[in-house]
Parts: sequence; structure tokens; C-alpha cells
Amino acid sequence: MLNTFQQAPHAMLPVASHDEAARQEFSKSLKHFVQQGLLPGLQPAFQRRAAPAYERDTGHPARDRREIRAAMVTDPYFQHYAALNRISQELLWNSVIDSVERQLPVLNERAQALSAEGSATLRIDAGFEPPRYVTALDIHCMPGGYASELVPGDISVAALYDRGAYLYGMGFAGPLNDDMGRSVCNYIQRQLPGFKPRRILDMGCTVGHSTLPYKQLFPDAEVWGIDVGAPVVRYGHARAAALGVAVNFAQMNAEQTDFPDGHFDLIVSHILMHETSGRAMPRIVKECHRLLAAGGYVIHADLPPFDLMDPFTQFILDNETWYNNEPFWGAMRDLDQIQLAVDAGFAREQVRFATAPMAILESAAQGAAGYTDASASAVAEREFTAGEFAPGGGWEVLIAHKPAAPAQAGQADEKAVTA
Amino acid sequence: MSADQLKAQRHARGKRPQFYATPGLDQAMSMIVVLAQELHVLADRVDAIERVSKARGIDLAAEVDALVLDQPALDAREQRRQQLLERLYYLVRKEGQELAEADSQARYDRVISETAQA
Repeated sequence: MLNTFQQAPHAMLPVASHDEAARQEFSKSLKHFVQQGLLPGLQPAFQRRAAPAYERDTGHPARDRREIRAAMVTDPYFQHYAALNRISQELLWNSVIDSVERQLPVLNERAQALSAEGSATLRIDAGFEPPRYVTALDIHCMPGGYASELVPGDISVAALYDRGAYLYGMGFAGPLNDDMGRSVCNYIQRQLPGFKPRRILDMGCTVGHSTLPYKQLFPDAEVWGIDVGAPVVRYGHARAAALGVAVNFAQMNAEQTDFPDGHFDLIVSHILMHETSGRAMPRIVKECHRLLAAGGYVIHADLPPFDLMDPFTQFILDNETWYNNEPFWGAMRDLDQIQLAVDAGFAREQVRFATAPMAILESAAQGAAGYTDASASAVAEREFTAGEFAPGGGWEVLIAHKPAAPAQAGQADEKAVTA
Repeated sequence: MSADQLKAQRHARGKRPQFYATPGLDQAMSMIVVLAQELHVLADRVDAIERVSKARGIDLAAEVDALVLDQPALDAREQRRQQLLERLYYLVRKEGQELAEADSQARYDRVISETAQA
């Protein structure tokens, strides 16, 4: 399958010159090649070369992802694979920075103008301190991270994220990079018929890629996206206005928001948890329990826990921890997330993992550029391949439900997650 | 670009891992991939030129394929290829020359020492 997926333009997205676009396409193709062309050679390199050498040196076989890693780091094939993977990431961000930098300060001015047009709220907290887990390292090697500003009111890192995250996902998340949000929306439609949230919160929304589909599914609901980065929240607000979707954005920490108890009927997050920390994640789950109204649902979409896969696949995925500035990536996958939800106050029988099928086929149906029926089907139906951003088939979601008080129990609550 | 143009951050906070034991090889690999990227940019630009021309009624791709080179063109291209190879293998050829002249680091060090005293 040739991946020619193209991102949908909108007023906030930086425009690439011919050569910038060619560099960006190259970095996207390079990621595809690393995964399709080099990654499959890791297993034979391990089995035929690194594993026997490790056993010879230590007297026992490599048993878990840490020992496999110890066996592989000196292997020349692995070194080429890992080095090229890192270089592809560096080329990706650099190729987008060229476009963003060239269009400053116009992009900043446009964000302000678009935000002023829309009816939705934008809240930036002047005294806000982003947590250390997003400032200590620039996550996934994105220069500047989510929170840094070149000038007051700056959105440059958010513009970088909007384009870069699309390239990083190689377009698998759809032309608006919103596949996770749309997939969870599809899951809600199919699995929770009759559920009609009045207020929806998306935690760690960055630029609102996955936030907007909820407003489209529930147009009468009040939808909020919160994030610790001021630039991404600003940009998200402007982007939503550019796309004509009325979603509120606020700079807030999901560990401790200032919304009242029981304020939201639906709380979601998308690839948030693995970018937090061992201390923050339980606090976020607790905050969800506090914010959730009776009868409501919390749905966290992230990447699968390690215990669902073999040690070699764990090793490949854990390279993100070591080589892509994802410090919590590995540790988060080792946590018992069901227990975290129980500790936060949810009843054990109301918490479970499920799979939300990828919505990418819809992009093909809508005739988006590069999204042909064949290429979209190939993405949606393929087996999970370690190292890919999109897991294939579906997104792993953690669902927790807070039953309604017995007297008010409705139809949706009877279909609770005990199924 | 004006002097007060905003400069974006280019480096991600966080120590970059070293993948190869050989010093400098990580940097060299990055340079090689960047060169491949630039080569691809040029190929896309040529492709764009052909497509834009075709839209204006000039089928550059077909005409380029059908182009018959005359003698001056053949000479110019051969000269360019040889010059490219000489630049590409500059250091290898330098080593060949040193071997032919029996040049060495010892001779270089001796010259430094002698020059200081003479």
C-alpha cells in the first residue's frame, strides 16, 4: 500500500512552500520506510545474532524487554534502525519549523483574529505553571514542547504540533488528525445508545484534534478542551473557529481543574496519560471521578498496556522511552489502570478496557486527498505492528462509568459497562 | 528575512542518545539522510517543473526523454561527471598521492619541529 494521505488545510495550518512540503513528505515517507522496510529485520537480528550472543555472555536467554534491549543496543542492524528512526523524527520537526518560522508573526495574529470571531470561550491563566513532566524534556523531541512561547500570545509550537503530529502519525489519524476522537465517538454511538451528555471535557487536548468530533456528534453539548500548554490551547481555540466548531478551551491541569464536582457527563482523553507521570496519572483519574456526573462515562484512549503483548514487541515500543523523549511511555504501560480507576472511586465492575475501531475508513468515504478506499482499508484492517503510531484495527480505550442514582437510572445506564 | 524575525527553537530539550560506538558516525548518518532529503527535494522540483510546463502545453518530460545530445553536450556532461567524481573522491585521491610520494605524519611532524628551530 502506498501511503499518500494528505492533511486537510484550514486557516491556522502553516502553508508549506514546494520545497518545505517535499521535505515534509520525505520525513513522512522515511518514517513509513523505517517501520515497513527496516523494523521487520529486528526480529531476525535478535534471533540469529543478538540473542545467542547475550546468552553466551550472561548464561541465560534474554527474558524481558529490558534484557532484549541490553542484547540489542550493540547490534549494528538495531543501531541503524534506531538511529534512522531518531533522525526521521528530527527531520520531521525541522521540516515543519521552516514553514512555521517563515510565517511568524502572521500565524500569531491570525490566531488572535480567529479566536476573537468565535463565540466559544478561551481561558488562559497568566499565573499557570506547566508541570515538570511536560517541561523537563521536549516530548517526542518536538523542539519547544507544548508550553514554550517566543513572544506573548505565541502559538508557534502549536502550529508545529498540528502539522508535525499529522506527519508523525503518517496520516493514519485522518485528514484532520482526529481519528482517535472520531473512533471514540463511533464507539459511544454503537455501545452507549441513548447516552446524551450535556457537558463534555477533553483532557490534554493539545490543539483540539480529537476534541472537535464530540461537538459534531453532540451539537447541543457544552464541550471543553483543557491543556497545560497555553500555545496549544490558544491555537486549538483558533483552529476550532477556523473549522466552524464552537468548542471552549482553557489552560488547566487535568490533575486539578477548577470545574465543580459532577460537572461533566462525558470526560475523555486521547494519548494523554503516557505523557504525564507516575504521580500525575492517579491524580488525573481521581479528578475524573470528582468531575463526573452520575450516569456519566470516562473514556481514556491511549496505547495498549504492555501485558497485552510479547516481550519483543514491548522492547520495540519501549524504544520511544529511550530515543524519543517519552519518559513515561514504558512505565505507564506497566501500570494496572483498572486498579487506578478503582482506587479513584469507580466500582470495579464499572471499569474495563475495550477497543474503539478506527474511523479512518470514513476519510476515504469522504474523498479526502490520498485517502483511497484501498489504502484506508489496508490501515483499518491490518494487524497491530509494533512501532507504528496507529495500532491498526482500533484504539485501546479505558472506560469507567458512574451509575446514576437508582431512582433516576435511565436506559443508557442499564447498558452500563458490565457487559 | 528581517532582523527581528522570530527564530523558532530547533533543538529538543533532552540529551540526544548516541547509537553508534564510532565517534562522529551519528552525525555523519544524519548528514547522509539530510542529503538524501535534499536530493528528493530536487527530484520533486524537477517533477513540478515538468508538470507545470505540461499544463502550459510544453511536454518537458517527453521532450527531455527524446532529446538527442550533440557532441558539445556529450563533452560537457562527461566533464561534469568526471569533476563530480574527483570532488567526491578528493580524500581518497589525496591518500593515493601521499602514498606515491611516501608522505607521512612523521614527515609533517618533522617539518614543524625543523621550522621552529630553523
